[in-house]
Amino acid sequence: MADNKIIVLKDISVSFDSEVILNNLNLYIKDGEFVTFLGPSGCGKTTTLRIIGGFVTPDKGDVLFNTKKINNLPPHKREVNTIFQKYALFPHLNVYENVAFGMRVQKKGENEIRNTVHEMLKMVNLSGYENRNVNSLSGGQQQRIAIARALANRPKVLLLDEPLGALDLKLRKDMQVELKNIQQKTGITFIFVTHDQEEALSMSDTVVVMDKGEIQQVGTPLDIYNEPKNAFVADFIGESNILDGIMHENYLVEFAGKKFDCLDCGFGKMEPVDVVIRPEDIEVVEPEKGHICGLVTSVTFKGVHYEIIVDVNGFKWMIQSTEVQNPGDKIGMILQPDDIHIMKKSKYSGAFGDYSAFSDEMYEEQHNKPITEEE
Amino acid sequence: MKSKSINIPYILWIGIFIVVPLILVLLFAFTDSSGNFTIENIINVGNYASVFVRSIWLGLIATVICVILGYPMAYALSKIAPNMQEFMIVLLMLPMWMNFLLRTYAWMTILENNGLLNRLLMFIGIGQVNLINTSGAVVLGMVYNFLPYMILPIYTIISRIDNRIIEAAQDLGASRRKVFSKIILPLSIPGVISGITMVFVPAVSTFIISKMLGGGANILIGDLIEMQFLGSSYNPNLGSAISLVLMILIMICMGIMNQFDHEDNSMGGMII
Repeated sequence: MADNKIIVLKDISVSFDSEVILNNLNLYIKDGEFVTFLGPSGCGKTTTLRIIGGFVTPDKGDVLFNTKKINNLPPHKREVNTIFQKYALFPHLNVYENVAFGMRVQKKGENEIRNTVHEMLKMVNLSGYENRNVNSLSGGQQQRIAIARALANRPKVLLLDEPLGALDLKLRKDMQVELKNIQQKTGITFIFVTHDQEEALSMSDTVVVMDKGEIQQVGTPLDIYNEPKNAFVADFIGESNILDGIMHENYLVEFAGKKFDCLDCGFGKMEPVDVVIRPEDIEVVEPEKGHICGLVTSVTFKGVHYEIIVDVNGFKWMIQSTEVQNPGDKIGMILQPDDIHIMKKSKYSGAFGDYSAFSDEMYEEQHNKPITEEE
Repeated sequence: MKSKSINIPYILWIGIFIVVPLILVLLFAFTDSSGNFTIENIINVGNYASVFVRSIWLGLIATVICVILGYPMAYALSKIAPNMQEFMIVLLMLPMWMNFLLRTYAWMTILENNGLLNRLLMFIGIGQVNLINTSGAVVLGMVYNFLPYMILPIYTIISRIDNRIIEAAQDLGASRRKVFSKIILPLSIPGVISGITMVFVPAVSTFIISKMLGGGANILIGDLIEMQFLGSSYNPNLGSAISLVLMILIMICMGIMNQFDHEDNSMGGMII
């Protein structure tokens, strides 16, 4: 398992006009994996993808493909293919010729081309579209052609640069499932770039969370969600309440003025830490029964659940609950040991996790909109 | 309602300066000097067939040379640094700020028998060469004057090609040469077509260039028409008839060109 690394990035640094885009990045990608680079815009995820594709040459560091160094190999000689943002189909060619393009430049036989094009179009459910003008297709269909075109080259690795960004929500969900199916069917390594955390969690085998040109965490979607390494990851992946805490001893942490049992150990005695509590893990009870109690400041209906902001001594918590609460009420909150996750302090400590600003926004939104969603 | 009232000045403009003159041309072409209907003028145009052939032939040569010179120039222009591009475009346009006549006069003094070029040739020992008053000089004048009209539309269309499309082609295995022949060239055809239109039409109907650089032996349609209105052989009816035939010929040429354009768009996949 350990030696099937298809791509290795070693000490990669890139800057454009003295602005650092990637800072000493180290990463390997295993053959056959579905890997997602996840991060906010400007985090360097697309640049990393373009380095693998051959469109950006790193200032420092090495790119290895099957243990061969490919730093200076031009894009057309690499065994990777890319699905670009907005698809970049060839507007002067029809669907058939778009898909056939890669094979044509490699001078494949006409029979092979025809068979492959039909096979690819069948895979993306667009059989019969061979003679259509690509400009007449919908966004979703163009997306599928782009996939067919890239896969027709039989790449070892497929790079996908926010390919679903231009699609509407419903189509996006369908394409997520479809892409995952194609990946499993073909066994090709997929490297997917997105800023959508839900997309990343639902599709990937491995998620690489990036920010400011650095990798913040690499892990399975479950690891990333349940065991975020720092406040940035915790905040970026889903909603989270992040509080300052002190680790008294193994399995005992103090935050919000109380001591709690937890499942974490290995920290120094009385070490300051960040404590993460996911809003859906908090149980709401009567004020006197809770570990902590606070004042409900806002309630927003989100479809599946209510988003409840609770003020506890000035710190605004977020709770996601299927039961509605009323603003102005006092409620209690119960935190079980496995709801509490402890992280080491990082440069992101204190930057996230308090929903004060968020609840102000909510407040304004509610007062600007004529229809409130409170009951 | 509002948009209609905005249209009125333009409709008036088109009516007064385009439709009415065209009707006048039509009217003159089909009447004699006393105003009676006749098709004699149109028949007489046939006497000048050789002038038509020469005009179209020289215009065609000039257009082809403009494509050959202009395309690489436009391509190179679109590939240099953006701020340099602006500067180069200004350089390209600079001669166009000067009067057309003046530019052609300048070529006259260069090409004359004891002009700049011949003096240089004599100096290096080649001896005098007859340059002025040849059809070559006329083509040179056309190319010089109309080349920017070829470069600009091609440049515009090449620089508008989405870079991601080029990257996609590279990504799929196309080398630089393949990217050019399979992506950039076919996508720039519309620019070439409009360049050809913008060079061919004025080149065919020019009269100053041929008069100044071609001498009496290289009369073009433009000169012929001018003569009917201003020259010794005053005959506006024949002049109108010649104009009409020229217009129709150019329209047919453009129609054929556009056919090519359409074919390229839909059949693009077949160019391999």
